Amino acid sequence: MAAHVLRPPALRRRRRRREALTGYAFVAPALVLFAVMGLYTIGYGLALSFARWNGFTPTWSWVGFGNYLDLLYRDPVYAPLVRGAALNTLAVMIAVPLLIVLISFPLAYTLNRIRLLRTTFRTIFFLPFVTAGIAVFYAWTYVLEPNGSLNFILRHLGLGTLSQPQGFLGNPSTALPTLIVVMAWGAIPVGIVLYLTGLQAIDGTVLDAAQIDGAGSFRTMTAIIWPLLRPITAAVVMLNVRDALQSFQVFLIMTNGGPGTDTTVLGLESYKLAFAGNLGQTLGLASALGWILFVVALLLAAVNLRLLRSRA
Amino acid sequence: MFRRGQRLLSLVAAGVAGLALLAGCGGGSSASGTTLTMWTFKEPHVKALQDAAAAFKATTGITVNITAYTPDDTFTSKVQSAAATHSLPDVMEVHAAGEDFTFGAAGLLTDLSSDIDASWKSRFLNGTADAGLVTPQIYQQSLDPKSTHLGIKTGQLLSIPFTAGTFGVIYANKAKLRAAGLDPNAIPKTWEDLLSWFKATTAKDPTGGGVNLGLSSSSTGLDWLMEPLAYSALGQAKYEALFGKDPAQNWGSANGQHVLDLYNEITPYWSPGAQTLSIDNADLGFAQGKSAFDVGGTFTMSSLQQDGMDPNNIVAFGLPPAANGAVGSAFKLAPIALTGLAITTQTKNSSAALQWLNYLTTEQVAGKFAQTAFDLPGTNLGANASKDVGPYLSSLESVFGTGDTAFNPTQNAFQSPQWDIQKAGDIVIKMSPLKQASSAAVNSQLSAYNLDSWK
Repeated sequence: MAAHVLRPPALRRRRRRREALTGYAFVAPALVLFAVMGLYTIGYGLALSFARWNGFTPTWSWVGFGNYLDLLYRDPVYAPLVRGAALNTLAVMIAVPLLIVLISFPLAYTLNRIRLLRTTFRTIFFLPFVTAGIAVFYAWTYVLEPNGSLNFILRHLGLGTLSQPQGFLGNPSTALPTLIVVMAWGAIPVGIVLYLTGLQAIDGTVLDAAQIDGAGSFRTMTAIIWPLLRPITAAVVMLNVRDALQSFQVFLIMTNGGPGTDTTVLGLESYKLAFAGNLGQTLGLASALGWILFVVALLLAAVNLRLLRSRA
Repeated sequence: MFRRGQRLLSLVAAGVAGLALLAGCGGGSSASGTTLTMWTFKEPHVKALQDAAAAFKATTGITVNITAYTPDDTFTSKVQSAAATHSLPDVMEVHAAGEDFTFGAAGLLTDLSSDIDASWKSRFLNGTADAGLVTPQIYQQSLDPKSTHLGIKTGQLLSIPFTAGTFGVIYANKAKLRAAGLDPNAIPKTWEDLLSWFKATTAKDPTGGGVNLGLSSSSTGLDWLMEPLAYSALGQAKYEALFGKDPAQNWGSANGQHVLDLYNEITPYWSPGAQTLSIDNADLGFAQGKSAFDVGGTFTMSSLQQDGMDPNNIVAFGLPPAANGAVGSAFKLAPIALTGLAITTQTKNSSAALQWLNYLTTEQVAGKFAQTAFDLPGTNLGANASKDVGPYLSSLESVFGTGDTAFNPTQNAFQSPQWDIQKAGDIVIKMSPLKQASSAAVNSQLSAYNLDSWK
């Protein structure tokens, strides 16, 4: 101990420098990777949002904030498309998290209480998350097409009036709700897992005290469990709001934004502007739309943080 | 010291000579041993191109590796990234009279005007040889700052025809026609006759007797059906005026209303869910018997064959004209170059690439390509056409015509450079098949879009 204390400052400095260098050496690959893959692409994307380019020409045409203005109100073609897509995105952002909370919380609560076949049910409920992906989205389109299995089942159950002759994705009034259900179906398992984690973290003595005070199951759930799980609910909601805002795979694969533009969301519109714009000079517009989405996501994250802090 | 310097000089000279020899092997006339890469966006063309490449190698010693990137947006993004990383192939099959100009404007394609002489051009179907040529009119249109062709120069030849054909070809299932009491040999003479066929098959089989078209890309309804129908109904001058600035004649006028009303007559006969189908899935559904009709182009035959449909069960014909229309029974569809062959500016084997283009566009090779790919080549097969392409494809050639009575979808100089058929399609699809808007409302929206596109 004394030897350490008496070590000359130069030696200590050298040792500290060596330790710092070792630390930097370990961090460097990740830093370089982030600088190349992260900062470069972020900077490139931001610059592109101020330019007009189709991805082929060697030079960009600078348009300043023109792309942002075109998307928000100025361009008679793109602005209405963005407005329509924004409304659809908003509907998805509200409906998907709501559905997930409404379904996953009761399921998690039930799963937490039962003993018999609990593991089996957990596996079954978690299957959509394990299997969700492009192949499953394709499978859903087959289920939902005019002569798909859903219409077949409905007709054979005597519920033919509920079947959709144009398919559930072909009717403008059912296409978006159907996609919302498919999205919720894929995300409910994570909601269940999060709620289960929260339920198992609740101090048993609190529940025992409620029971002694004469609270029934419903009263315990609404007055004790639900308030205690509010942070979990906030996390579930915000995760899925962010996902609903930015993801577009399900829309691209199952409807490509159709019929017409009835299921076009902002993420899909950005993709279409970038890669399906008939070779038009719309990569800058796509990038600008991406940045608008980023700002909205940032605001939502701030709200999320605020909510979690206030509950804590 | 002097001797050491001499030795060094000799070594450098030998090295330079060796490099020169190697360079000569790569780009000179003796291209044997060279390997070319070619990209296409048409999967049905791959086998036929590979067969041609094998024969080409046996003749010249040049290897050609064929790769397909499909669908179109995948091909586009692949070219975008390859252009940025200087890894473009030597040769590309591109959409003629559009994509070639965009790529050429970006400096990705070689100007072939000095390589393709009059005798080479004479190989191609009448009216298609100059599909990839930048005319003064195309150049003028490209000067718009938002044009995708900004950068092309008058006189550049950016591609040569590879496949030709047209849109607006109706494919019908013979068995379903017979089941509905129709004679497959009595081809409809007018749009109204065709509607009566649609009505009969749909009445016979409400779920499998309708019309398939890949309407998930809404532009196909316009491109392949409504525009040729409008041309037959109005004639060339009034059709072109639809896209102009004169409110008495453009979209929004009585002429526009007439066209939309005509097109809207098909609405009851779309196959269930046609609005959700991609072009490939529409073809597949027709091949599987899920519809009695499929609207496509001459190229659709190759997809149907690939999807396993018996060609003997297909009757194909061009879109018939509107009864009492301006064009009348003389109405035909003009053959156009659908895809073209282009050499990229990043190739190091331009001479070998040109040899490959030459080989592919000879009558004999084009004939074999047609047989394997079931697609019409841009090369004129002359008297051997029906033998080379077979009875099914040669029957499609009967839809072709020339002159003022033939609708040519590539002639669009009268449209605003900003006119985007996809955007227009998004408007029209609300009327048919979605029934969300009346023809009058769609006419008004098309009018607004058309006028905006001129601003």
